[in-house]
Amino acid sequence: MEHVDHILIVDDDREIRELVGNYLQKNGLRTTVVADGRQMRAFLESTPVDLIVMDIMMPGDDGLVLCRELRAGKHKATPILMLTARNDDTDRIIGLEMGADDYLVKPFVARELLARINAVLRRTRMLPPNLIVSEAGRLLAFGKWRLDTTARHLLDSEGTIVAVSGGEYRLLRVFLDHPQRVLSRDQLLNLTQGRDADLFDRSIDLLVSRLRQRLLDDARDPAYIKTVRSEGYVFTYPVEILGDAS
Amino acid sequence: MKTPRWPRTLAARLTLIFLVSLVVAHGLSFGLQFYERYQSAMTMMLGNLEQDLTTSVAVLERLPADERAAWLPRFEHPNYRYQLDEGQPGSAMDMSTAPVSVRSMLATLGRDYALTFTTIKDVRPHYQAHLRLKDGSPLTIDVRPSISPLSPWLPAVLVAQLLLLLGCTWLAVRTVIRPLTRLSNAVDGLDPNGQGEPLAEEGPVEVVYAAVAVNTLQERIATHVKERMQLLAAISHDLQTPITRMKLRVEFMDDSAEKDKLCNDLTEMQHLVQEGVAYARSMAGSSEPGRRVDMDAFVQSLVFDYLDTGKQVLFTPGSGAAIETRPHALRRVLVNLADNALKFGSQVEIRVDTRPDGGMLIQVLDRGPGIAEHQLAEVVKPFYRVESSRNRETGGTGLGLAIAQQLALTLQGTLKLFNREGGGLCAELTLPARITGPVRKVVGDSAVDLPAR
Repeated sequence: MEHVDHILIVDDDREIRELVGNYLQKNGLRTTVVADGRQMRAFLESTPVDLIVMDIMMPGDDGLVLCRELRAGKHKATPILMLTARNDDTDRIIGLEMGADDYLVKPFVARELLARINAVLRRTRMLPPNLIVSEAGRLLAFGKWRLDTTARHLLDSEGTIVAVSGGEYRLLRVFLDHPQRVLSRDQLLNLTQGRDADLFDRSIDLLVSRLRQRLLDDARDPAYIKTVRSEGYVFTYPVEILGDAS
Repeated sequence: MKTPRWPRTLAARLTLIFLVSLVVAHGLSFGLQFYERYQSAMTMMLGNLEQDLTTSVAVLERLPADERAAWLPRFEHPNYRYQLDEGQPGSAMDMSTAPVSVRSMLATLGRDYALTFTTIKDVRPHYQAHLRLKDGSPLTIDVRPSISPLSPWLPAVLVAQLLLLLGCTWLAVRTVIRPLTRLSNAVDGLDPNGQGEPLAEEGPVEVVYAAVAVNTLQERIATHVKERMQLLAAISHDLQTPITRMKLRVEFMDDSAEKDKLCNDLTEMQHLVQEGVAYARSMAGSSEPGRRVDMDAFVQSLVFDYLDTGKQVLFTPGSGAAIETRPHALRRVLVNLADNALKFGSQVEIRVDTRPDGGMLIQVLDRGPGIAEHQLAEVVKPFYRVESSRNRETGGTGLGLAIAQQLALTLQGTLKLFNREGGGLCAELTLPARITGPVRKVVGDSAVDLPAR
């Protein structure tokens, strides 16, 4: 029998959680809706789920507290998608720091939510278990660079922020999550294509060349991202996980 | 006739009043004292003269005629001396203009002797009194009135006193003006959002009163602004839940033109609500710390994001320098400016340039209709829309540029809009090399207590 993904929806607004639940059910997912953290814990005791959709702002324990709690407990591998009312970078950062896999700003379109859920599920399943970066405030260091995965920018050796575009960030994350492994263009497309598939109509090659430029990598003799003829690309540097981003 | 103009500054007026009155008062008292001294000296001198005349003449009278000449030097005075002859020839004195000393002589010697006075026109005019002693020999009193010379230190003292007056005036004016200048400078630097430091309530009582009054006013304005922002934020925020529900419900509707329209309306409402919250936040200042940011990479990554979503934005890099700024706020400013340029213009371009002082100049340029000159200052005001354009259809909230303007202030930069030569608009953002001063004071959890969490 085909596996049906089970989605747990945690939102204090009854109408919203039911509407979301109904919509996802209509689109072939199994859903359970709960109103707060207490009910969520009770439900998770008995039934494991494939993904949790959680509102940040809730009475009692808010989404951030619950998220941190889940990450610390036995459900640390369950993907979490945050719903936030604030279209604000700080919110996104806090959400991701607390261990959410993705976030969606309210008000959202149901189709977008579905697309994000599918993307997160695909991503977590495709990700080999060698390196799952989802903990709080993580800095990834490679060569003379550091990547701040919560603020989504690079830091050079002097600590100056070197911004990267959304596409560059996603590609770099894929490389850093799979260092010293040859990744084909198809794999890279699949892994970076978390959402907004139309974003990546531009070929991976263009993104790689932009990323090399950003990393001050010489395209003829690249130090970080090497081209493997007829196979794809490989990130050659070892990646070190540093503690808090600060 | 041109009337002398009353100086415009308080300092000049005070200086004028102080200096003139002090100099006049000083002059008066000096003159009075001088006159009084002259009077008493004169009285004393005349008294001495009378006594001396009587004594000297009486002594000469009693001396034998041949001994008189030997005594004469003893009777000599700086102003007058005795001669045992007829004196020099001269004209008879006009008694109506005779000096006081003549009257003294007449009053003392006139009782016993017949006195005649002659005026001698010499290099220094003087007069002589002639009389005959009892034995018939002539006696002449040669009087040379002379003003006792002024002490050499007197002018120096006068100059010193004048300087002292000047100094006192300067000190007085400064004492009065300084707290006022400080007060007006401080009032100038006040932030209508009530974020800055309150005025120091110190100095003279009047200035303290003024400072207290200004602080109270400031507080009231800040409360007012804050309440307004809270209202805006609360309304915007509370609208998000119903909009979310509506958006979800729309998904259950059958596909139709109506559904699409409803969806578009909801998206527009959502946009307005989000911009409202963003504006309220931008008014509340920024608590974001300053970070060193590579400006070329920053703008280029933004441009790539636009390119990746199919929007054409050109990028002209600068020198590759880094400045200290607040990246989130800056990103929002640039996104708002670029969105605005994309909405109304074409050939959007972002240029980065280093300024001589180490700061940055970022220009967002487009080739569009631009904005009429008289509306340039208006478009950065919240909810203002350029009426002539078809912006309603383009779904503007009228907040994008207002937010950009507010955030530019929190970046300690300036945002200037102007029309380009050849058509189109240029939005020019100037940023300092580094953010000075502490992060603006945040009251409570956030400067405007948004009901977010």
